[in-house]
Amino acid sequence: MPDAGFSVEVIRGVPVVATPEDVDITNAAGLRVALLQSAALGPGTLVVDMTRTLFCDTAGLHALVGAHKRAQAQGGRLLLVLPGATVLRIFSITGLDGVIPNFPSLEEALAAGAAGPGPTGPG
Amino acid sequence: MTARIDPAGPIEDQLRAIQSITDAALSRLDDRQLLAELLERTRDALQTDTAAVLLLDFASGQLIATAAAGLEEEVNQGVRIPVGRGFAGRIAAGHQPVILDHVDHTTVLNPILLAKGIQSMMGVPMVAGGRVIGVLHVGSLTSRRFTGREVELLQLAADRAAAAVQSMALQADRQAAAALQRSLMPTALPAVPGAELAARYIPGSGGVGGDWYDVFTLPTGELCVVIGDVAGSGLPAAVIMGRMRSALRAYALETRDPAEVLSRLDRKMQHFEADAMATVLYAVIGPGLDRMDICLAGHFPPVIAYPGRPAELASVPVGLIIGVADPAPRPVTTLPIPPGALLCFYTDGLIERRGELIDDGLARLCRALTPQPADDACATVMQALVGGGPARDDIALLMVRRQPGHLGNGG
Repeated sequence: MPDAGFSVEVIRGVPVVATPEDVDITNAAGLRVALLQSAALGPGTLVVDMTRTLFCDTAGLHALVGAHKRAQAQGGRLLLVLPGATVLRIFSITGLDGVIPNFPSLEEALAAGAAGPGPTGPG
Repeated sequence: MTARIDPAGPIEDQLRAIQSITDAALSRLDDRQLLAELLERTRDALQTDTAAVLLLDFASGQLIATAAAGLEEEVNQGVRIPVGRGFAGRIAAGHQPVILDHVDHTTVLNPILLAKGIQSMMGVPMVAGGRVIGVLHVGSLTSRRFTGREVELLQLAADRAAAAVQSMALQADRQAAAALQRSLMPTALPAVPGAELAARYIPGSGGVGGDWYDVFTLPTGELCVVIGDVAGSGLPAAVIMGRMRSALRAYALETRDPAEVLSRLDRKMQHFEADAMATVLYAVIGPGLDRMDICLAGHFPPVIAYPGRPAELASVPVGLIIGVADPAPRPVTTLPIPPGALLCFYTDGLIERRGELIDDGLARLCRALTPQPADDACATVMQALVGGGPARDDIALLMVRRQPGHLGNGG
């Protein structure tokens, strides 16, 4: 069962995992489960909406990188919604902002998802 | 002392049976005793002849008999049941209770159950952290039909047993991780003329994590500094950390270029530890101690206190974290180290606070760091950034200071 903090819903055919305020070692396993469940809905685009998230540690990044790799291996992709400066900073320090496409809003991520696999996002 | 749960029986008996299993007094036992006592009580409450716990060995995908009441030979003989096969294997694979009204070789794999003459069985999965970690089952020497209510009671016991097993595993894991961590941290920092070194490692409140630091000299006399953070915690992270530490040392002997050292490390990790991820900072300080070639793989840049001005975050472009993708060429930055300069290397646990921008934590570190002897600087920074409360995440901190009067050799 997914962690209570991670909701999964399908928006316009795209699974979207929304993350809570903190994503860290204490709930990274829940994120991993939510990501696996979403990926199981079908190959293709998977969106992780981190709009509410203010803190993400290495364990959280690790779960996201795992999902990114699995999606790539299956010909799909993981897109992130990262409007907040706090979490975006973590992604830029680790260099992950250049690896996992990220968008300032869910709307833009979904639009990029609908455009199908192709060049990565602006992030 | 316990009553059998009987759907037709008085409600008091049912409650007493549940209480015997959820009894708070059980919590005062250590985990191993708790498991044994829980099996006895489960057997009594359900009036069965046997009760047994099989735990899942994730590496082999087999269930291993671990604790039993009335079926001790299962444990003594080390019975193993593959997930998906036999009675216990079906429970683990399906994450569902299974009831067997009739036991024979078509429904049960374990010869001990058949030899003992078990007629009816019921088993439930033990679940922790969203995954099955084992199976709890009971058996009766007389033929009977287990009810839904009895399944519920057994599941209650299984939840309790799962918590005890998790706690036991966690404790063993923590002790091993702490021992490994201790063995991997440098016992003594190298003595380098003209340089002062000092370090701290503080495990987080959740136990040992994957932070590490390393300092060593090359045959050329250059001083190498490593600090990193392996994603994850406990024994798995400590094991990966150990492998990264020795691989990095080996590559450091092979090539002088910090970017090449980290690229080789990345390639090695991605090939042999496909799921591992780590941030690493690697720097080579010249024999004259006057400059440093530094390369970052997803790690924070050092904070440097130059004499006569406030400490600042070194301007070093960051390369990709280790374990993610074939990276573009990794940038190497050369920074001057004037006499008296203090270099502060750290892991994220030192500066990250919930609900706060990382830049606020970095600013706090910059304010706390002044050019002073390396060990004093460690103490000052820990006092300013960690204070009295226990740190949630583990923290590694390493200070390197070029002594104020050090002239270097221009090398």
